[in-house]
Amino acid sequence: MKLRILPSLRERRRYIKFKVFSEEKISYSDLEQAIRNTCLEFFGEFGISNFSLNLIRNLWNEKEQIGVLKCNHLSVPHIILSLSLIQRLGDARIRIKVLKVSGTIASLNIEKA
Amino acid sequence: MKFYDLHIHSAFSGGKSSLEELASMVKNLGYAGFCYVVYYENEKRISQIKNEIEKNENKLDIKIFLGIEARSIRELNFLLSKRNKFDLLLARGGSVEMNRIACSHKGVDILTHPSYERRDCGLNHVSAKLARKNGVSIEINFREVLISSKITRARVIKNFKDIIKLHKKYKFPLIINSGAISHWEICDPLSLSSFLHLLGLELKEAKNCISKIPEKIIKDALKKKDYLRPGIKVIK
Repeated sequence: MKLRILPSLRERRRYIKFKVFSEEKISYSDLEQAIRNTCLEFFGEFGISNFSLNLIRNLWNEKEQIGVLKCNHLSVPHIILSLSLIQRLGDARIRIKVLKVSGTIASLNIEKA
Repeated sequence: MKFYDLHIHSAFSGGKSSLEELASMVKNLGYAGFCYVVYYENEKRISQIKNEIEKNENKLDIKIFLGIEARSIRELNFLLSKRNKFDLLLARGGSVEMNRIACSHKGVDILTHPSYERRDCGLNHVSAKLARKNGVSIEINFREVLISSKITRARVIKNFKDIIKLHKKYKFPLIINSGAISHWEICDPLSLSSFLHLLGLELKEAKNCISKIPEKIIKDALKKKDYLRPGIKVIK
C-alpha cells in the first residue's frame, strides 16, 4: 500500500532534463553512479540527504544521451553544480548540459526512445 | 539571455584543444560567444590567430574575441602599449603586487586568478575600490574548483566566498569563467550561475555575471582599442 502524505507536507519536486556530450556512449548505471559519487564527494553525506536525488531510469534516452534527474526544489543549484563537476566516466571524458528545469515531467517535452 | 565565457585557452597557449573544437563545444553548451585567450609572442603570431578566428567565426556562426593574458608586471606594461592590437587584455593575478597593479590600470579588462595558489583571496579594500574605479573585472575561475579536490578545493571555495563578500561591499564588476584549457573543461552557463548562487549571490546577479557584465566588458574593451593616452583617442 502506498504511503499517503498530506499535500502540505509533500516535497516540491523538480525535474532536471540534461544532455551528455561524451567521447563514447554512456550507460544509465555508470551515469547514476557518477552523479551519486560526485554529489557525495562535494556535499557530503549530510548534504546529499537533503536532495531527494533520483535519476529516472525509464526516461534515460541512450541514443540521444538525454536524461532526467528528480530532486526537490531547494536542491536544484546543488545538483546542477554537481553535474558540471563530472569530468570523466571510465576512460571517456564527458560534459553535461542542463536543458530544462521543470516541476512536471510533461512540460519537459521528452521524446520516448 | 546571451552568455559569454571570457577565458578559454587553446593549443596556442598551453591548452590542449584546437579553436574549432572549442568553438563547437561552446556553441553546443549554449554560449553566444567566447574570448580565446593566448600568451603574447609576436605580432606575426597575433595576425595568424586572428585569421583562424575569422575562419571559425564564419564557419560556426559564433562570436570569438581575441584576448591576451599578461603573466608578469613587465609583460602587462608592454601589452598596455600594444592595447589596440587585440580585443581584451587579461592580467594573471596571484601576487598582491600584480593584483594591485592590474586593478589600477584602465587598460586592463579582467584580473584572472586573483587568489591563485594563495591562502587568502588576494584582494583587499584598496584593490577592490581601485577595480571599481577603473572598471577592471575580477574573475572567478571555475577550473580552479574543477581540478582541485578535498582540502585544496575547500580553500579555493573559501577564497571565492571572500571575493564575493568584497564584491557585495565595493560593487566592482565580477565575472565567472570556465578557464578551460580543453574543450572538455568548458562548463554549462547554468552550472556557473548555480555555483555563484551557492557562494552567496542572488540568482539574478549570478546570471548577470555570465551575461550582462561580460557583454559590457566586451563593449568597453572595443572602445579601449581606440584609446591612446588620457584625453587622446583615435577617431575613425
